[in-house]
Amino acid sequence: MEGEEKVKVIVVGGGTAGWMTAAALTKLLPTRCDVTLVESEAIGIVGVGEATLPHIRGFNERLGINEAEFMAATRATFKLGIEFRDWARKGDSYIHPFGAFGRGQGDVDFHHYWSRLREAGADVAPIGDYSMAVTMAYANRFALPDPDPAKVESTFNYAYQFDATLFAPFLRSIAEGQGANRIEGRIVDVELDGETGDVDALKLESGERIAGDLFIDCSGFVSLVIGKTLAEPFEDWSKWLPCDRAVAMPCRTETALTPYTSASAMDAGWRWRIPLQHRTGNGYVYSSDFTSDDEARAAIVAAVEGEPIAEPRVLKFKAGRRTRSWVRNCVAVGLASGFLEPLESTSIYLIQAAITALVELFPEREISPIDRDEFNRLIDLEYDRIRDFLILHYHATERADTPFWDYVRTMSVPDTLQEKIDLFRRRGRLVKYREGVFLDASWVAVYTGQRVVPEGHDRRADLPPMDGLVRGAAALRDEIREKAGRMPDHRAHIERYCPMAEAA
Amino acid sequence: MSDIQRVLVAGGGIVAWSAAAALKRRLPMLDVLVISSPPPEDSLADRLGNTLPSIAEFHSDLGLSDEDTIVRAQSGFRFGSLFSGWGGERADYVHAYGSYGASVGGVPFHQLWLREGHPISYDSFSLGSELGRAEKFANAGMPEVQIGYGLRLNVDRYCELIRAYALHLGASERTGGVVEVERRDDGFIVAAILADGARVGADLFVDCTGPGARIRSRIDHEFEAWSKWLLCDRVSMTRDREESLLDEIAATPNGWTSKCAAAFSSAHGSGEGLLLSQGRLAKPWVRNCVAIGDAAVLVEPLEWTNLHLAHSQIDRLVSMMPGADCAPVELAEYNRQCNAEADRVRDFICMHYVTARRSEPFWKDASSVELPDSLQHSMSLFAERGRLPYYEEETFTRDSWLAVLFGQGSYPRRVDPLAFALPSEQVESTLSACRESIASFAASQPSYREFISQLGQRAPA
Repeated sequence: MEGEEKVKVIVVGGGTAGWMTAAALTKLLPTRCDVTLVESEAIGIVGVGEATLPHIRGFNERLGINEAEFMAATRATFKLGIEFRDWARKGDSYIHPFGAFGRGQGDVDFHHYWSRLREAGADVAPIGDYSMAVTMAYANRFALPDPDPAKVESTFNYAYQFDATLFAPFLRSIAEGQGANRIEGRIVDVELDGETGDVDALKLESGERIAGDLFIDCSGFVSLVIGKTLAEPFEDWSKWLPCDRAVAMPCRTETALTPYTSASAMDAGWRWRIPLQHRTGNGYVYSSDFTSDDEARAAIVAAVEGEPIAEPRVLKFKAGRRTRSWVRNCVAVGLASGFLEPLESTSIYLIQAAITALVELFPEREISPIDRDEFNRLIDLEYDRIRDFLILHYHATERADTPFWDYVRTMSVPDTLQEKIDLFRRRGRLVKYREGVFLDASWVAVYTGQRVVPEGHDRRADLPPMDGLVRGAAALRDEIREKAGRMPDHRAHIERYCPMAEAA
Repeated sequence: MSDIQRVLVAGGGIVAWSAAAALKRRLPMLDVLVISSPPPEDSLADRLGNTLPSIAEFHSDLGLSDEDTIVRAQSGFRFGSLFSGWGGERADYVHAYGSYGASVGGVPFHQLWLREGHPISYDSFSLGSELGRAEKFANAGMPEVQIGYGLRLNVDRYCELIRAYALHLGASERTGGVVEVERRDDGFIVAAILADGARVGADLFVDCTGPGARIRSRIDHEFEAWSKWLLCDRVSMTRDREESLLDEIAATPNGWTSKCAAAFSSAHGSGEGLLLSQGRLAKPWVRNCVAIGDAAVLVEPLEWTNLHLAHSQIDRLVSMMPGADCAPVELAEYNRQCNAEADRVRDFICMHYVTARRSEPFWKDASSVELPDSLQHSMSLFAERGRLPYYEEETFTRDSWLAVLFGQGSYPRRVDPLAFALPSEQVESTLSACRESIASFAASQPSYREFISQLGQRAPA
């Protein structure tokens, strides 16, 4: 066992997926694999995934990355959630926070008490007012969560908004420091073994041949190995998620540095706004069935709030995933395995989920189908749950003012999602599972934010006397406001903690 | 949407009274009436006093203290079970609750132990096993190695205690059995007819009458039998109580036996025992009638899960209480969770047989059954690399699964590569340090007998 031969891993493509994979494998399995990454400077990276989920912190921690250094290097800001504007109705807005509603403790979830107050016609604020993360976000405040679980300042989590084009080089230096090899070159061919059909080697433009045992396809939308070469079918989800283009255009940050990402509904899709230290990322995700590229371009130009710093750039994609992400000796990570629009910032999370599963199921040179099947099962679960959560955002709307919104409002959704919605509508209950990226509070945020109103609540929420409940809710709201008010301004916190280097 | 107001609980054992107490304590606005009759002799959850550690949480939700449930009810403690003869010629092993060893740098402990070539038995790294074998007691573990304990209930005393508590909380009681039910056109039950002819109406009927499911069985008989996976079809119980911290579960030629209970296959030999048809209802909750305990799931008491399952169902009943119309969408989620839980208990029990190493015809047959898909999934991942997949609603922890698998001599084909991220010397020293700290901690604890006799002095006469 000790003398087992190392697995020769070839990472196909740099970019966020490629370098995250290389950094993780060299850190966590140094004695089991040799990692070579092949990339070409001539090929750009997509790098739309600028906003992340709190899980990224666990990834960085495992790699021993210092938070302040990482944030300075990637010009990052803090992120407490996502603001959704105009989704259920024009004029609506809510934040899906990284954190609990209420104190996040006790047997009965806070939203049941909130529902009871609402049903009774009591004086009750929007549910976000009872969330530490939401209140901090709207006040542009930030401080790290308090470690004492008894305090309301402990009831939130956070992620980052960063420049993905800077994250890859940051990881590259870590991965190379841990022994990853990098080969510059354009791949012109992928050689398969004539007998087994496994991938043997990559052929580069220079004529060089790169052989390996395990190929990690991080080639992005091109999906060079798993898609183009191994022809793994793509499951198309565009009937539920019809957006298939995005037009991106960064601008200068001229307003407050918000500790949250915004997603504003547009006529044929939605628009992101991601504030970084040095600029603000903007983009319009739309469906080409409902609007043209020119119209979309015009819409984003009209919408950006600061001076543009690049021309609008159009990207094309299709929602869905490869039927399997691990086929033969090829594991697809990131866009090569599938695509879900960045509405809930899941792109980097999905990369991370694939890397985590790969590390936990890391094969020998001879690959066991048991490891491979388990990997595919885990990745399917991630994709399917995120898919349902995204569809909810579109489907839970009352908007019929454009053909796009009318379509998503009236389309039929997967049974798995319809059951979840029906259950919540009844009595505010959530389909319970512990494994998965978006847990109870996230579903509650989107349901309540998009007018999926429960008809009833948990009976246990009827126990406290009404006047005590009213007072308690008001006191909680005041306490949260007061605590948030004492926290530093988001920009001031960043300038002290992790300012980017000047003269970029 | 109208609410459920009147709840009728049928049954008269621990399960029924526990359900009544939980409903009254946690949903005091309900009217709870127990139609009580002595539990049938084959109702395992009502008649077996061995519990899992989860009972502590059930008690705390009910507001019952250790003073009540342990001192006054004269309960004993148990750290787990000692399996003898299951691994053929292999030494006995202990499945204790709590942790086995401690992970290092994110690498699970058992992978480190496997990497070192499993030098000493896996249960040497369990504090519960160490204490149990030495008949020593501790009610808390060490920071790095946790223990868990279940109780040994004195069934009659405990049932009296929980009944008194339910009545104290406001439940009412009426003695007599349910002989008939009155149903509406849509199948909902309107009233139960008792032996004396009385008619008792309710909005929700909670059937805790044991395997016969006297109310729930009037709606349908859809039952998923587990007999192709679990061959024991007879069970027997004694009124004896194990006095030590570990229950010895001895393999017999056609089943197993312990001080309190035994199970065997009648097709593989003779013996005295009650009929046991292992399996579960396809849907424990249909319309306004929910089956709890043995009325919903029948499983041999090999790992003492019967009362645990009942508690877990009661907890769900409280936290998922639907409206009076018992909407299918709400019941479906309840049933999904209950079934997932029962099926994983089935898998865990079945795993004991498929990895046992005995040569009698019963054991040959029991170990060669075709596995349920979910167990096949667990077993093949374990066999490949010692990994156990996570399942929702799983009762037993990964450490419990591993305790039995390793105890019976099942090892994976290879060690997880993550275990090689640490230098060999570090792994070796971690293992020996862990072993030493467990041994010295255990040695410093009082004897169990001493501890129990001190508790006994606090008990009222």
